[in-house]
Amino acid sequence: MPRFKLPPQILCLVLLTLAIVGSYLTARAFLKPTSFGELGWYRANALVELRSRTPVYAGKQACDECHSDVLQKLGKFEHKNLSCEACHGPCREHGDNPEVLPVKLTGNFCLRCHEANPSRPAWFKQIVSKEHYSGQCVECHLPHQPSQTP
Amino acid sequence: MKTRFSRRSVLTKLGGAIAGLFTLSAARAAKAAVQKVLASSGAPKDYDATKHKWLMCIDVNRCIGCGLCAEACKKENGVPEGPYFRTWIERYVILKPEPGSGQTRGETLVDSPDGGMHGFPALTVPTDKIEHSFFVPKLCNLCKYSPCVQVCPVGASFDAPDGAVLVDPKYCIGCGFCIQACPYGCRFLSPVTHTAEKCTLCYHRITRGLKPACVEVCPGQARIFGDLMTAGPDDPIRKFYENNRVQVLKPHLGTEPRVLYAGLDKEVR
Repeated sequence: MPRFKLPPQILCLVLLTLAIVGSYLTARAFLKPTSFGELGWYRANALVELRSRTPVYAGKQACDECHSDVLQKLGKFEHKNLSCEACHGPCREHGDNPEVLPVKLTGNFCLRCHEANPSRPAWFKQIVSKEHYSGQCVECHLPHQPSQTP
Repeated sequence: MKTRFSRRSVLTKLGGAIAGLFTLSAARAAKAAVQKVLASSGAPKDYDATKHKWLMCIDVNRCIGCGLCAEACKKENGVPEGPYFRTWIERYVILKPEPGSGQTRGETLVDSPDGGMHGFPALTVPTDKIEHSFFVPKLCNLCKYSPCVQVCPVGASFDAPDGAVLVDPKYCIGCGFCIQACPYGCRFLSPVTHTAEKCTLCYHRITRGLKPACVEVCPGQARIFGDLMTAGPDDPIRKFYENNRVQVLKPHLGTEPRVLYAGLDKEVR
């Protein structure tokens, strides 16, 4: 009885398939990012990288650490819900190094919000600056206590 | 006949190949560990993305159009100069109908000069011709079924488990499919990195317990941000739900956004 012998063309095909699959698996092992697929069809490390950036705005709580007196005063007046950084600009650098001062506000910064505009909601206090006063807002209004005069 | 392969040489080579495979997988595991440590340096440690579900609510009646949010977003995230915005404000002006025209309302004018980040100039339309006018803050709508994620060919756009829709800047090839797919126009191709960029909900801030920059600076409390997983009954998010009837943008698209609007008009798209 003749022994079964694998035809050479079949052997060639099997070897070729193995070589292709093998090279694919090797290339995949080298090229696929290590965390890809951990949480889904993306690189899970991207989540960690995205949150490792340093914030630019420190947040009101950070201001409270040194300027709690100002915040207490502010809390009794109309601007109590405003964040310090809404007017004073980003302050994280100032928090790390108090010598770096936040951007200086100009006297008429108030108008950015309070200049009359028909698109603004009616509940919001607005003035027509040309008819109101020609000087600086801070001459009559204290930004931290808007309803009081200096 | 002399054999080309001796039993000894075949076994040696086989052993070598198996050892090589083991070394490869060990090296891979080591590489993964090193990358994890490298990636997490500077990132807040105790953040688990599966234990949060972030949500943004916008009260259109409280937006005063100051543009501080758009400005803060640019500063916080280093968004390139020019017409590139991760959040912006639109001004809607709906005119009164012409008398006798049989229309419910007149033309709708929409503008957003510089994304509203320097405020809005005075209207050129006389006030007595305006029926309604209001500001609408816009940002990534945090879709549950995000078209932008579905079209990304490389897995660079993804839905994070905490509800943020994010872009992996190292993996993005800048093909721009997601920019075309987003029905809300919330993405752009950065001229600096040549990758897609979008609102990340200030991912580096919210994972540290801070509010997103736009929410932090909003003077009118038009933007309310919170975590549905940890929100108590007195949380601003819950209060917003209780006190308002909420809407989403383009509900007919079935994207199920998690940015909810109160006080929206039908003209807002």
